[in-house]
Amino acid sequence: MAEVKLKNVKKQYENGFVAVHDFNLEIKDKEFIVLVGPSGCGKSTTLRMIAGLEDISGGEISIGENVVNDMEPKDRDIAMVFQNYALYPHMSVYENIAFGLRLRRLPNDEIHKKVCEAAEILGITELLGRKPKQLSGGQRQRVAIGRAIVRVPKVFLMDEPLSNLDAKLRNQMRAEIILLRKKIQTTFVYVTHDQTEAMTLGDRIVIMKDGFVMQVGTPQELFNHPANLFVAGFIGTPQMNFFDAKLTKEGNGYIAEVCGAKIEVPDYICEKLDARSSVPEKVILGARPENLLIRPKGSQNTIKARMKVTEMMGSEMHIHADYGGDKDVILRVQTADMDEEAQVELMARSEFEFGIRQRTINLFDPEDGRNLAVENAVAVPKKAENAPVAEDIGKKKKDKKTKK
Amino acid sequence: MSENKKFRSKSGKERFTRILIYIFLSVLCIIWLIPFIYLVFQAFRGESRSMVTYIIPKEWSFDNFIFLSTKTDFWHWYLNTLIIALFNAVLQSVIVLCVAYALSRMRFKGRKFLMNLMLVLGMFPGFLSMIATYFILKLFGLTSENSVPGLILIYAASSGMGYYIAKGFFDTIPKSLDEAARIDGASRARVFFRIIMPMAKPIIIYTIMMAFIAPWGDFMYASLITFGHEEAYNVAVGLYKWLDKEHISNYFTIFCAGGLLVSVPITALFMALQKYYVEGVTGGAVKG
Ligand SMILES: Nc1ncnc2c1ncn2[C@@H]1O[C@H](COP(=O)(O)OP(=O)(O)O)[C@@H](O)[C@H]1O
Ligand SMILES: [Mg+2]
Repeated sequence: MAEVKLKNVKKQYENGFVAVHDFNLEIKDKEFIVLVGPSGCGKSTTLRMIAGLEDISGGEISIGENVVNDMEPKDRDIAMVFQNYALYPHMSVYENIAFGLRLRRLPNDEIHKKVCEAAEILGITELLGRKPKQLSGGQRQRVAIGRAIVRVPKVFLMDEPLSNLDAKLRNQMRAEIILLRKKIQTTFVYVTHDQTEAMTLGDRIVIMKDGFVMQVGTPQELFNHPANLFVAGFIGTPQMNFFDAKLTKEGNGYIAEVCGAKIEVPDYICEKLDARSSVPEKVILGARPENLLIRPKGSQNTIKARMKVTEMMGSEMHIHADYGGDKDVILRVQTADMDEEAQVELMARSEFEFGIRQRTINLFDPEDGRNLAVENAVAVPKKAENAPVAEDIGKKKKDKKTKK
Repeated sequence: MSENKKFRSKSGKERFTRILIYIFLSVLCIIWLIPFIYLVFQAFRGESRSMVTYIIPKEWSFDNFIFLSTKTDFWHWYLNTLIIALFNAVLQSVIVLCVAYALSRMRFKGRKFLMNLMLVLGMFPGFLSMIATYFILKLFGLTSENSVPGLILIYAASSGMGYYIAKGFFDTIPKSLDEAARIDGASRARVFFRIIMPMAKPIIIYTIMMAFIAPWGDFMYASLITFGHEEAYNVAVGLYKWLDKEHISNYFTIFCAGGLLVSVPITALFMALQKYYVEGVTGGAVKG
């Protein structure tokens, strides 16, 4: 139960690699924040800096009123769940959960009460006498969570807690974490590389790439108004489609033209465009697969496409096609909207025409990848030529060694 | 499992080589046991105390042990060595385990350098520094009749260099266990004693045994530091005196009896601690 503030936080490892650049975030009390991004983007590093397991190379982290930069993990009043569970193998489940309380010298009956409560919440009461090696993966994960919730910490940190579980268990545990979160009112910081987890769990999501924060926002904001091309591509499966478009002013509004199809730009974007000092002529238009609509032959403002592959998923169909020569596009069609004959007919087609649901489009600057309608959007970081990346540093070290 | 299959599926030739291997190992085993059996037989030989050309005694007796107890300083030496060994078992184990843990878990300036330095220093034979050590100890009055504390000091002082095996073991314990405990509220010391130590039983046992055994066999330092003061000898120095030309014909079986007694505490310790050499203590800690 505390706010967490990260101000210009930076992490540079001993080998010189900068894993986190200038991280800024204010986490509200009792908020559930999810850090998400591809592997190696610095999520764990950020979390471990909040936990105090990594030194902070620059900036300031505060939990509640206290700046915790130089505070030992044990004094920060946090709890953490690790990806690999990290249960104490020589202790029973009961002792694993009780360990933190014992260190705080709580009286035995109080410890007993709290352990039983936590076990109750997680449904592991009958496992309390077992050793970790006698548990299944899902049970171990529950014990690890139990160990964290028993202390009612100020901040609850979780580093990919579900990624070692199989798909079914993962879905189940995800639902349980949502329930858990309702039961224990505290601040959560949750790390994952899985966008589904991020979207379903987070009050707000922080998307990271190569140590930079790409966007912070609610799942809805991220999904509907991605701040740049990276976020747009990262959130949502199948991926958002990107079209090269020509932007022209027409009357009060703007028109985006993709392969001859004219798409009226939504008003809220036009306002933002008008407010800009300059509007680029060439833009990238983003539209999600479900917002591409198959139109009858000969309709106005449509794009012709050739069918490549159709994937029948049951409730929906993914159509992989190409348009304008060899540019790929994916459409997502709800099968419930068609009767079976129409479905079969659609799958058998070799060509079709589609339009774009005008209300949902996003426009991006092709130069730096920023969404033209999102204020303070972050540019997609380009891989600077001389900036070292982690693998290179590792290699250089090895080279040195072999030379010796 | 896969190994089992391999053995089962391959017949004939494979089985033949395995039989050969077992024969070879059995022979080795017997060869290793001969000196010990010889020692036992000599210790209980009653007819003479000199070296003889046969192995099985003509007359069995405890005379050698009685002689050892009544007419020599043996129990004195034995006690000296036992004290040194016990102290060393404690001191050296504590030092080795702490050094190993620190080098395995903490990252500090000069860590690599320190490890390399210890490795290189360990390559020089210990007796190169013997004379210097002797003078330093003499300065503190820890030689001759006060050799026991002096020797304890020497053994303990150099023990940190033997961190290597223990560090290798600690390296296999996942770091996230330390981190989980630190977040749970444990200090570094508490992590070490409450989390790591219980998991490191095999290596603790190993370290204690090595530390306990070493003083029983040390000859060089012990003979230099005691410098002829018989009552301060350890068993190795004391017993060795009986192997020189003028003593050997009268003391050979006594020597063997002493040697047998020396093996008792070491064997006892080994037997007592053996059961802790169990594997799988880290099972279930983290998902592998
Ligand atoms: N101890 C370390 N020393 C040097 N580089 C590291 C260290 N730990 C992690 N890194 C690098 O920092 C980057 C971010 O790592 P991490 O935060 O673990 O990523 P993830 O987002 O997958 O959790 C990675 O490129 C990784 O190679
Ligand atoms: Mg990670």
